[in-house]
Amino acid sequence: MGYHTSLYVFVFLPVCLVVYQLMPAKWRWKALLFFSYLFFYLLSGKLLVYLVGATALTHYIGAWMSWQRAQEAEELSGADRETKKSIKLKYRRRCRSALAVGILLLIGVLAYLKYYNFFISNVSGVLLWLSLPFSPGEKSLLMPVGISFYTLQAIGYMADVYWGKAKAENRFGRMALFLGFFPQIMEGPICRYSDTAGSLFAGAPLTAENLSQGYMRIFWGLFKKKVVADRLAVIVGVIFGNYTEYGGAYIAVAAVAYTVQLYMEFSGCMDIVIGSGKLFGVCLPENFRQPFCARSASEFWRRWHITLGTWFKSYIFYPVSVSGIVKRWNQFGRKHAGKYLTRLVTSAAALFPVWLCNGLWHGARWSYIFYGMYYFVLIMLGTAVQPARNKLLSVCHIREDSGYWRVIQIAKTWVIIFVGELFFRADGLQAGFHMFASMFRDFQLSLLWDGSLLGLGLGRADLAAVAVGCVVVAVIGSLKERGEPIFVRLVKTSVPVRWGAYYALILAVIVFAAYGDGYQSVDLIYAGF
Amino acid sequence: MEDLIRILRDIDDSVDYGKETALIDGQILDSFGVITLVSELEEAFGITIEAAEMTPQNFNSAEAIWAMVKRLQEN
Repeated sequence: MGYHTSLYVFVFLPVCLVVYQLMPAKWRWKALLFFSYLFFYLLSGKLLVYLVGATALTHYIGAWMSWQRAQEAEELSGADRETKKSIKLKYRRRCRSALAVGILLLIGVLAYLKYYNFFISNVSGVLLWLSLPFSPGEKSLLMPVGISFYTLQAIGYMADVYWGKAKAENRFGRMALFLGFFPQIMEGPICRYSDTAGSLFAGAPLTAENLSQGYMRIFWGLFKKKVVADRLAVIVGVIFGNYTEYGGAYIAVAAVAYTVQLYMEFSGCMDIVIGSGKLFGVCLPENFRQPFCARSASEFWRRWHITLGTWFKSYIFYPVSVSGIVKRWNQFGRKHAGKYLTRLVTSAAALFPVWLCNGLWHGARWSYIFYGMYYFVLIMLGTAVQPARNKLLSVCHIREDSGYWRVIQIAKTWVIIFVGELFFRADGLQAGFHMFASMFRDFQLSLLWDGSLLGLGLGRADLAAVAVGCVVVAVIGSLKERGEPIFVRLVKTSVPVRWGAYYALILAVIVFAAYGDGYQSVDLIYAGF
Repeated sequence: MEDLIRILRDIDDSVDYGKETALIDGQILDSFGVITLVSELEEAFGITIEAAEMTPQNFNSAEAIWAMVKRLQEN
């Protein structure tokens, strides 16, 4: 039962809404918990035990750290300055150990389920290459849905409690709801406890405003997924599935089509998720902010999968940046290597683990690791050439905010994104390089208008639906970028206009969605990560 | 405070640090700028800035940064 299915939108959600509303306000979060665990059980069955285990671990480590802090406060009262220092150090070490145990166990389970077979297959490859007779066997491991998302959320919570940024939750059930809230369990967004806990446990009553805005957002997500993404999945499947038969502009078309498919699908899913939360008065963070308006690779990642980027920044980039070894390098570098090199090496040291983890987080494949390293190299290159670039712009009298320069930068970023997604989607790293190289052979742009695209599984009407869908999404995104969010403005319009727009959207999903012969139901891509 | 403003100007001299209150939220100071600032602050004021302090609230304005520096000096 994916978020895009009729069962979720027209059966599961309404039943949940009715039960939620019938409950007294103080029990409503329990209704959400019940439906969250039911949703998870329907998707993952007995694998629910992993979620329960992660919840118990996160809850008790948080509670233990909170108890330690209380003891610390007790001991600190009345102690002199020197004793205070040693007391603080003692409790800090204890909490740090608890945090380390929690993180290691959570990562350990994730690593075992997600990366064990990848590790074993690589070890087997090396052993075979060395002609050694021993070959460790792979295991049939089942991964619970959303493990990559709730693991990061759990680690973030424990780190926030350790840093004193969040108060430990003392009720197990509430922790279970925070980690397992059904709209976000499959694909995120990755939430911070302090951002969502309030509205999650408030038990806000259903309101006409939340219901209309929530369902509007859900249908907007369905429009992106069913009208555009599911159609593009056909072209993407044909070219990536038979990549040896295609070259030149076909590969470029595949890269662009996959990028658009992924955006429409993932951002569409986020619309459904955020809309679902809105129905219950729960404010989930946005995960996309017009990523195709980005002027650089680093800006793209501040606009695409925002909550993942924020998580990496908060829990990897900054902790590494202020770690002892990086600080020592900073001091040494500024004295002996100059500011430029010091900044470059510090940035590389903090960014490398971020992008390695970003690649690995997406899955156990070398192509994902390559994808992470691709962005690491590009962002480091951007940092390295920045002083020279600034000087060049100044000499050439090019203003950063001029329109044409903006267009050039956006176009450059698009190329970076498309190439990255080509490797991301390709069936392995070797296939990725093969496709990238074959793009430069016999490149004929005429296939865009000479009818060749019609041989990729979609008819003229389908291609028109995709084009119109993309234009609609681009226009609405562009208005949002200019500070004119159309959905917010729509709420303030008169009833006939508002409901006219609602019905037009619902009708567009029903009429133009990719149903029937020639289409297969396309699973949510990010649910697989 | 003057020392802090000098450090900030050294990183980016195009910002009015007396008025600006969204150095992080407005992406005026990027992640690399923040880590450069952290090491400068540690050296100039003899403090240790840990990961827990790396929040937008602590770095959004010169005033907020100064408040953090004073707090860490007192600790």
